[in-house]
Amino acid sequence: MKLVIDDTRCKGCNLCVMVCPYHIFQEGRTSNRRGIFVPELDRPERCTNCRLQPLYQRRLCGVCQMICPDQAISWLHEAPFEPHKVVIEY
Amino acid sequence: MSVEDWYRVDRLPHIFCAGCGNGTIINCTLEAVESLGWKIDETIFVSGIGCSSRAPGYISTDSLHTTHGRALPFATGVKMAKPNFNVVVFTGDGDLSAIGGNHFIHACRRNIDITVICMNNQIYGMTGGQGSPCTPKGALSTTTPYGMDENPFDLCELATAAGANYVARWTSYHVKELNQAITFGLQKPGLSFIEVLVQCPTNYGRRNKLRDVQSMISAMKDHALLKEKRDRLLAEGKPIPDGMFVVGTLTDRNRPALGVKQ
Amino acid sequence: MQGNDACAEGAIAAGCRFFAGYPITPSSEVAEQMARKLPKVGGTFIQMEDEIASMAAIIGGAWTGVRSMTATSGPGFSLMMENIGYAAFTETPCVIINIQRGGPSTGQPTMAAQGDMLQARFGSHGDYSVIALAPSTVQELFDLTVKGFNLADRFRVPAFLMSDEIIGHLRERVEFPDEVECIPPKPIREGMLPFEPEDDLVPGFTPFGKGHRVHVTGLTHNEKGYPASTDPDLHEKLVMRLVEKVERARHEIADYDIVNPDAEIVFISYGAPTRAVRQAFLDAPEKSYGHLNLRIVWPFPEDLLKKFKNARVFLVPEMNLGQIAREIQRHVDQPVIPIPRLGGELHIPAYLLKCAEEQE
Repeated sequence: MKLVIDDTRCKGCNLCVMVCPYHIFQEGRTSNRRGIFVPELDRPERCTNCRLQPLYQRRLCGVCQMICPDQAISWLHEAPFEPHKVVIEY
Repeated sequence: MSVEDWYRVDRLPHIFCAGCGNGTIINCTLEAVESLGWKIDETIFVSGIGCSSRAPGYISTDSLHTTHGRALPFATGVKMAKPNFNVVVFTGDGDLSAIGGNHFIHACRRNIDITVICMNNQIYGMTGGQGSPCTPKGALSTTTPYGMDENPFDLCELATAAGANYVARWTSYHVKELNQAITFGLQKPGLSFIEVLVQCPTNYGRRNKLRDVQSMISAMKDHALLKEKRDRLLAEGKPIPDGMFVVGTLTDRNRPALGVKQ
Repeated sequence: MQGNDACAEGAIAAGCRFFAGYPITPSSEVAEQMARKLPKVGGTFIQMEDEIASMAAIIGGAWTGVRSMTATSGPGFSLMMENIGYAAFTETPCVIINIQRGGPSTGQPTMAAQGDMLQARFGSHGDYSVIALAPSTVQELFDLTVKGFNLADRFRVPAFLMSDEIIGHLRERVEFPDEVECIPPKPIREGMLPFEPEDDLVPGFTPFGKGHRVHVTGLTHNEKGYPASTDPDLHEKLVMRLVEKVERARHEIADYDIVNPDAEIVFISYGAPTRAVRQAFLDAPEKSYGHLNLRIVWPFPEDLLKKFKNARVFLVPEMNLGQIAREIQRHVDQPVIPIPRLGGELHIPAYLLKCAEEQE
């Protein structure tokens, strides 16, 4: 699972920054083209839901998504890891 | 089905200000509705006028955005004419307790099987921050420039006294508890009333030294007193600190209800 | 049978299955009858906390696809105005029975009047158009209630039955037909939006729970039903359509009686005063006055006035200070003389004849 912020919906209220127990969300430093400081993600792979949702088959934590007044936070399914054949060019 | 299906995605982002908690409450409600497996075509959201009442416009069910304060009679009409519909009312403190006060107590008295979610931001937000019946004493607003000198309503006590089956109060910070309370209220036959204290940084916080969202949320978090804790304090004869409000399930009973699905 | 009872019978015959009301003299008998009869036919009766809530509840009921009705009198009618505007703007078909009494304010609860005629048309804020029917006999109270439901559904507007205390409390012989004609609202066509008008300017009706996921709002809305309250062109188009859909059908739906269209002196009446005019005609068979009785007052069918080619003067007996006489004067060049009668009693036929003789 991958944590994403939809920057077309985010209004930059920073509530997610306040509630995330892992402090994954950091206040944004640059404004996007709508003039909104969308929070930045600090090592989102630490998110419990990202790590453990496939294992438990239910939503874990999820406070950031539920408190986000603008419905901007969601988790995307990621394709499971597939071994790649690495071609090394000399 | 996921929660996203309950949104009219083509209308997002919504008109609420940055930091407004109404969107949080919509999330919690839709999460609850979704977890109960309700069908979109059997659920009706009704609202009156105000910030809170814009909510049904973003929800992809059949929805009724009505006149100021009249959401409950409209919902009564829908529910009585077709008891098979699940009816949820979004309302605000001004909408519910000022202009709609009479409808509110009568809906509670009838104990009609609807769920009322009141987004109490303690102010008239949409019209620019006028004092409402839930504005705390001393708070500043555009119509109370020297501080509110009237006593505020306690909506939960009002609903309990008027006869509602389920009454709970939470804040937009307590999302998990709120989600559980709404889930419980939706299933409860009879009128379920859930008051949610919600931050309004634009029109309430700005005039009351709580300019940013974080400080409003912290203030709500610090002043919320769990019902269990209050009961314990009372039992021990200890005083309840000033300015605290009680959160939790305040009433849960099984009085005969009207318009329950057969 | 009493007029108010006939009204309730008409509503049930027309398929009304939801009634929300609040007691008010002289219309309470309608609510009482509905409370008694509706549960037996599978309908719902609910007594609300006030008339504002009654009107709100029937709009809610109507959106579930059930024929809904309320009954009231002057003071309650004033309270309902807020939600009548909502019903007109959201195109909700519903029927409001107004058994008029003397006003303003509490006025004469047990006496008749026709003082709400302009309020019915213009009472709520903003521009809109409605349908108002006026019965003059108990039989008509039954028939026009049925007709009111059909018109409300056809045009998706609130329809008013502007009766009065005299007809409401009158006991007369009524014949119930074996079957009344019930025309359900036109359903929404495949691929149409919930507020997208068809050729007759009326959108197909899509009640709740049918999968169209309609958003009903009192804000200015687009054809999808979504609020778009800051678009000037959209608002103008919407309001024009709401008025036009009713107004342009005014001659087609007109319901009237004409007596002696060649007369020079013509009475125009609706509701209870029609009875006085008819009696006057019976009392003076030698006179050849004309008479136009309107059963649908709003939208006003002004073409009917042209049917009186030789008319020199129009006499309009009304139980108000000339509310419809003013409307008639807008459309004709001849003098229109209102014959007002306040106080709750009907015009005396001899007085009407005297008024007519003065014009000879």
